[in-house]
Amino acid sequence: MQITTSKNQSKLIKTPKKESFSLCALCRGTKFLCGKSRCPVIVRYHSRDKIKPLINTLKIGGASPPSVFIGRIGYPKVSIGPMIPPIMGDTSIIDTPELWLDKTLDDIVDFRSMLIRGKHTVDIYDVENSNKTVQFTRELALSKNSVFTEAIFSKKPQGNIAFYDEIQPHGPSAPIKKFDITNPKYEQHIEKAYYDTDLKSRDAVFNLYKDGLNISKIQRAFSVGAFGVKKFRKFVPTRWSITAVDSTISETLMKNTKTYPLINEYRVYQHNQFDNRWVILMMPTEWMYELIEAWYPNTTWNPYGGGISIFNSYEFYKGRNTYAEIGGCYYSARLAVNELLNKERRQAGVVILREAHPGYIMPIGVWNVRESVREALRNPYQKFDAIDKAMIYFSSIMDIPLQRWIKNSAVLKNKLFQKRLEDF
Amino acid sequence: MFNAKVKSEVLKGIIDVVSPLVNEVKFNITPKGISLRAVDPAHVAMVDLEIKSDAFDEYKATNMELGIDMDKFASIIRLSTSNDMVNLEYDEDTNRLIIKIGNLVRKMGLIDTTGMPDPKMPNLNLPAKVVLKASELTQGVRASETVSDHLALTVNKDDFELFAEGDTDTVNLKLPKDLLLELDTNSKCKSLFSIDYFSNMIKPVRGDDPITIMIGNDNPIRVEFNIAENKGHVTYLLAPRIESE
Repeated sequence: MQITTSKNQSKLIKTPKKESFSLCALCRGTKFLCGKSRCPVIVRYHSRDKIKPLINTLKIGGASPPSVFIGRIGYPKVSIGPMIPPIMGDTSIIDTPELWLDKTLDDIVDFRSMLIRGKHTVDIYDVENSNKTVQFTRELALSKNSVFTEAIFSKKPQGNIAFYDEIQPHGPSAPIKKFDITNPKYEQHIEKAYYDTDLKSRDAVFNLYKDGLNISKIQRAFSVGAFGVKKFRKFVPTRWSITAVDSTISETLMKNTKTYPLINEYRVYQHNQFDNRWVILMMPTEWMYELIEAWYPNTTWNPYGGGISIFNSYEFYKGRNTYAEIGGCYYSARLAVNELLNKERRQAGVVILREAHPGYIMPIGVWNVRESVREALRNPYQKFDAIDKAMIYFSSIMDIPLQRWIKNSAVLKNKLFQKRLEDF
Repeated sequence: MFNAKVKSEVLKGIIDVVSPLVNEVKFNITPKGISLRAVDPAHVAMVDLEIKSDAFDEYKATNMELGIDMDKFASIIRLSTSNDMVNLEYDEDTNRLIIKIGNLVRKMGLIDTTGMPDPKMPNLNLPAKVVLKASELTQGVRASETVSDHLALTVNKDDFELFAEGDTDTVNLKLPKDLLLELDTNSKCKSLFSIDYFSNMIKPVRGDDPITIMIGNDNPIRVEFNIAENKGHVTYLLAPRIESE
């Protein structure tokens, strides 16, 4: 099968047997490459209806974590609105993926599926619209704590739990007729950036990150157009806002990384999360970075496969200016590794290997990548004085043989085969 | 002291040669001209550049060093058109370079050059030499870019060959001796190189201008050509890829 002939994607490895599964791993439910009107992979998971009785109503009241959702279909006219669970109290964990590492996939699906998404169609530039739904959606996104929220829908919430590649899953949705919230308390750092209409959004995002705010909080405010020079503010679909924030922060961190001295050894970090096996190899070279994902048959993005699909995206010292083939996870992981390198004030070449084993049955969002890599980097690492030893070690952790990793890795190939001038 | 007046296109030529490889560089200034030698952050490629003083319309200088951020310099020179005259003057008191384009005066802060290395040119044994028109080579490299990230260059007794291989596609460019300006080798020489680097190295040479290439077996390549109406000379070195399993 010919996927595409663009230069970077020619690195994507063709898989030996049937054709459809590579297509799914490339598409991940977003591009409808298979030609069907709905993604069969995603529909497969649309069977849960535990919460149906709770939401079989036109009116819902509950504590929003806080949480909002900005759709992307119909851009630049998109559906914005709150996400409301039919429960009270402190619900903040429902929309704070930073706290989910010790949850199971089922836990996450259970509490996410309670989030009812209200929809109101608006032009992306209309962030200052006097419409109450627009205003309250923004206020929710800027809030510090859970906010009591009431919505009246014009139709009963439809559909089952919605899964995405990059976004955390959420529950059914319905068009909003009336919407009210009680006294939100703004997160003070975010509020400051919101009222600063001369501060560029790049700077706003990085300042908030330095102030220690969770990525999920920054991203939420980013998606409602709370940052940036006033006339450029707009709604950003949730999916895009996650990668925008990951990418913006990691770009700034990366600039620092490139000025630091190299690490002194080869390091291998590892972590297991949701039946994903992670290995992070750091090499004492100038900054270069690659994420390689291996999807086992019957995992999320390789449901019909007879073999393992392997995909990679990479950049060398100069960086890249096209969107990563493998999607938002590339930027989430890049953020996580640069966090560590900035903390240690060291530079390294980094290769991240991911084996998604069959227990990873559903997409739960790129937060999984960011937090898993962060967790791996919090663990102690194994130290080696040569790349061969480091590679032999990580191949003992991974199932896929070393030769196949090398064959699919631009950075490893560069390290092994590209000579340097001082070699002569 | 450094005070010079030069056509904008000469400066643009220098930027095209240097900035794909390195951003922060040290120019050595002498009464005879300016020169630079730098290695890219990955230590894979080296650029060596010499511009004689007569490439400039006016040139007055004593021995000194100029530390320049090439990205910043390029953004300033981009403000001029190719035929504009650009005036460069070093302001010792503030350690800035004063750049005048027409009525525009742009003062640029310089980088501290202490601690910036003076890389040595390695001694290489490169027995095969080919001189050819840039356009011939550019065509082959552009074809290879869509197929692979590295290409093989081979010099035989009677021809010069470029070969690139991807998963399904290949590119082959074979130039017999009579299409080359010069070919000199005693034996077959072959090495592999990154297309990304190599294409940046031949990009500054336009049209039918000659490029000199020297290669060995699994050894770096040496690429040479003239710029600034033959009053400047560029030498690149690029380390090979060696695919031993």
